[in-house]
Amino acid sequence: MKKIFIIIFTILFFVNSFAQEDILIKDITKAREVENQSHWYVPDYVKIQFAGNIGLISVGIGYDFFDSIWLSELLYGFVPASVSEAKQIHLITSKNTFPILTRAIGKNLTISPIVGFTATLETGNNSFLKIPDVFPGGYYITNAIHFTLFTGASFHKEFTNSTIFKGADLYFEVGTIDTYLWYAITAKEIGVNDIFSSSVGINLYI
Amino acid sequence: MNFLKITLLFAITLTFTNCDNFFEYSVYEASVKTEQKNTTAKNLKLLEKIKLESQDFKFAFITDSHYFYDNFRKVIEDINKNDEILFVIVGGDMTEQAVIKEYELFYNIMKNLDKPYLTVIGNHDHKSNGANIYKKMFGDYNYSFEFNNNKFVLFDDTVWERKGEPDFNWLSNELSNHSDYKQVFTIAHIPPYGDQFTRDLEQEYIGIMEANNVTLSIHGHRHKFIYDKSPSVSYLTGPTLKDAAYCIVEVKSDSFEVILIEL
Repeated sequence: MKKIFIIIFTILFFVNSFAQEDILIKDITKAREVENQSHWYVPDYVKIQFAGNIGLISVGIGYDFFDSIWLSELLYGFVPASVSEAKQIHLITSKNTFPILTRAIGKNLTISPIVGFTATLETGNNSFLKIPDVFPGGYYITNAIHFTLFTGASFHKEFTNSTIFKGADLYFEVGTIDTYLWYAITAKEIGVNDIFSSSVGINLYI
Repeated sequence: MNFLKITLLFAITLTFTNCDNFFEYSVYEASVKTEQKNTTAKNLKLLEKIKLESQDFKFAFITDSHYFYDNFRKVIEDINKNDEILFVIVGGDMTEQAVIKEYELFYNIMKNLDKPYLTVIGNHDHKSNGANIYKKMFGDYNYSFEFNNNKFVLFDDTVWERKGEPDFNWLSNELSNHSDYKQVFTIAHIPPYGDQFTRDLEQEYIGIMEANNVTLSIHGHRHKFIYDKSPSVSYLTGPTLKDAAYCIVEVKSDSFEVILIEL
């Protein structure tokens, strides 16, 4: 995962440093675009997110399905030990965002309210996919997978002159963990302020 | 103009959230807020300030709050109304998944209690990074205190989650000066007849209680009220807060009574 991301960025920076109005490079870019269309697995965008219960920083790749009806992403998130005050936390996340509608608010600039969910896997902090054998069957459910639900706003800007990125999303979200939401719904004692937190991120379209 | 709109929307988003924790990075974090640290030591200081004229006093025992927050709060309010209760002991399983959020929710509800409280860790509280969080938020897993010539020994006796046997040497040692006190109370989450104890561990625990003339051994874990009064060592398992129920222990000069309160 991490390696793929590093490779993508290396290519992008390489292209950037030699691009400056060079026709040859533009041809290469065009060729890349054609290549992108021909391979389903080439991502539509790369991204970076801050917070949101999927890492202090999470990075990854994203796919735009059905013309921005469903944005599906695979992310690697990380929390260093100095921040977690426990062991390092490594998280693998599948994130799914659904823009509800899109409205133009400027030249090549749109805003979309978004909703979505993530599923996150972590197995390094006394967390287990399969509960250790010492426990009788059904004693605990797995504590290695958590789901988050979020809502927010995403701004999309088209870059008409850029050879590197076709466009970018900047988004802000408030979200929570599935069980926390359950607590807030079932217990009067737990309020919305107790369970929601924020996140912010950028998608760069390639 | 666009920049202005974006800034405005950003500001609105930030204001709207106004969350308890503005940013969260993972459920497994173990960073305890400064004001929530060392709760055991703080409460022991509060306990020291209580001066009694008589030998008699009452304390409450609540346990297994998990995520039953409404009934938990109801019990706290009921205890607040009872001036005769001087302090509260929490018998563990204060969380369900032992994530920092659940520890914070527990802490915040306990802030409503207007009396000192002391805790033992339960098996659920050991999950994920729970033991790490407990240590910072409360303190030692095993500790003791004196109150009005009585000794209270609080002990972590979880087996499976700690991946080891309870530290019975510490327990024996801590109880060895039992004759200096009028009565001795031990509190540990799992009762000796609980699922995590083998027959050998059960016998060892009971042996330590009997050898040290423990008055009452208090537990949680089973989610039901079980009281076995005996002339030697008595055993009490408190009901879960799910049922909005708790126990009051009335300590007299050389005896005690257990009262079950069901709200």
